[in-house]
Amino acid sequence: MTEGLLKVDGLKMYFHTRDGVVKAVDGVSYSLDRGETLGVVGESGSGKSVTALTMMRLIPMPPGKVEGGDVLFKGESLLAMKEDDVRHIRGNRIAMIFQDPMTSLNPVYRIGHQIAEPLMIHKGMSRREAWSRGLELLDLVGIPNPSQRARDYPHQFSGGMRQRAMIAMALACDPDILIADEPTTALDVTIQAQILELMVELQAKTGSAIILITHDLGVVADMADRILVMYAGRPVEYGAAETVFYTPLHPYTWGLLDSLPRYDIEDKGELCPIDGQPPSLIDVPSGCAFHPRCPHARDRCRVETPVLREVASGHHSACHFSDDPSFRRENVACRVGGA
Amino acid sequence: MGDDHISKDRAEEHAVKEYRSGMPATPPSGPYEESAERASRTLWGDAWGRLRRNRLALVALGWLVIVAIAAVSADAWVPRVFGSPIRIDTVRAMRDRLQNPSFAHPLGTDDLGRDIFARVVYGSRISLSVGILAVMVSVVIGLILGSLSGYYSGFVDTLIMRVADVFLAFPYILFAILLLSVLPKSQRGIVPVFLTIGVLGWPSIARVFRSSILSVKENDYIDAGRALGASDLRLMMRHIMPNAIAPIVVYATMSVGGAILTEAALSFLGLGIAPPTPSWGRMIEDGRVYLTSNPGLVFWPGLAILSTVLAFTLLGDGIRDALDVKLKD
Repeated sequence: MTEGLLKVDGLKMYFHTRDGVVKAVDGVSYSLDRGETLGVVGESGSGKSVTALTMMRLIPMPPGKVEGGDVLFKGESLLAMKEDDVRHIRGNRIAMIFQDPMTSLNPVYRIGHQIAEPLMIHKGMSRREAWSRGLELLDLVGIPNPSQRARDYPHQFSGGMRQRAMIAMALACDPDILIADEPTTALDVTIQAQILELMVELQAKTGSAIILITHDLGVVADMADRILVMYAGRPVEYGAAETVFYTPLHPYTWGLLDSLPRYDIEDKGELCPIDGQPPSLIDVPSGCAFHPRCPHARDRCRVETPVLREVASGHHSACHFSDDPSFRRENVACRVGGA
Repeated sequence: MGDDHISKDRAEEHAVKEYRSGMPATPPSGPYEESAERASRTLWGDAWGRLRRNRLALVALGWLVIVAIAAVSADAWVPRVFGSPIRIDTVRAMRDRLQNPSFAHPLGTDDLGRDIFARVVYGSRISLSVGILAVMVSVVIGLILGSLSGYYSGFVDTLIMRVADVFLAFPYILFAILLLSVLPKSQRGIVPVFLTIGVLGWPSIARVFRSSILSVKENDYIDAGRALGASDLRLMMRHIMPNAIAPIVVYATMSVGGAILTEAALSFLGLGIAPPTPSWGRMIEDGRVYLTSNPGLVFWPGLAILSTVLAFTLLGDGIRDALDVKLKD
């Protein structure tokens, strides 16, 4: 593999709390190239967001501590960089969109001012230049009548418009990477589709790479080139979007897919959700972290921690049995809805 | 002076409550289709609109404006109409001594023949300037230390807050007396008085501001700002400060009243402004002997203190309500 745009290598981020060590991110690796979209999927608390925040060095340390691994941006380590240099990358080369547009905009400033801010910080633009560039950006993200709306305060915007404004802010400096942390979770379904479409459209224009963090498989299915499935802070499956979707290898991914209602098949059985709760990250189960909830778990799973390895070309899985060609989703019926 | 402490704590509570009730975090969003033509309103513009409908606060504000105008313009008319409020001469002291209210002296005269109205007007200069300057000193110190404390938690926070606790644990008025009594009487102008009151007042401001910052800091837009590459200073000054300042505005307004009271108390004890400069507290002290025969000597400066302090408190209360979006409409 060539020197990619972004390379996360065995990243481990632990939180040292009074109750114990929370292994929020425990050995995550992936790489990202220009123009690519990576979907990071997992339940709440699986370490999706923390991975992204660690990359941006936005985790307060302490209590957080990087216990291993590295993040290379254009070959340079983000974790070893000086704070001033990281600040120059944040919002400039790597930008972020947050989950809740309702609370992610500062209530006391006009929208236009907030979009102008990164331009003033990073590009050294004057207030006037930044404002007029901000108007172009608002237009780009589909806000009607930008010169007037830029003068509005956030509470005068609806949720969808605020998220558009957030995207405009993130794209202001033409970043290489856009991290979208559940960008549509707080929005109505109809608005969700619009926002995702907008992101795809803008990606085509700007060529930036996107890391899309979500717990919605439907969202990544549409957008991602590659998918990383995380469970309990660990990557469990990683590969091209189609292969992860159509030939998933890991029982956890099967569980996620089986939890979704399907309208493309005739036989509508009951859904079969994954039993139980995600484990506490302080006290991660021994062996495979998923074994207490896995219907296929065997003795080996309780003892031996599986490693993420390439099973098929470019398709990685962290299940002991993925090498067995008969251990596939279509061969093991889902317990509730199946035969 | 126990009362002073109680009212201080109450004001502090008020200010925090005002904040907790969720000032700017999520203002309600209206339908946006029609809003394109609508003039944008700021938080402060909104607050002013609501304050304007609060009659009590408006009366208080009106009274304070009158007092302020009188204080500022006093030199232009008071001495000419009512005679110097300061000058003592034997003729006047003999002739005009302790007169009852009349056309020439609407509130009567004091034991040295000086017009009481003139002295009350001049007293407002001392009271207002000491009150406002003292609070400014408190606010400057309190904002700096409070923001350091709230923004950088940990050791800095602990250190500043423990120092604040020490200040608050000290008997307030005794501390002021101690500081002021060190100065020779001749040097007792307005500067040492407001500096003393101001320096003693910072811990409450710092505490209120710190708690306000702590809750503003949790907001997503602060993280978003950091993710955009804003520096610590920028985050503090441009993102946290404007959102955290509202309780301080309320608390500071109420504190002006408290500072005026403290100045009056110090002057009453003979430690405030040195005579013959008229100060309300000093006038009460001077008139104390004549309480039974000429109660006006105590009554009028007392009324001045009462009305002005009350006006500051009511105005502070009004601002608190005006900034509280939950009480909207």
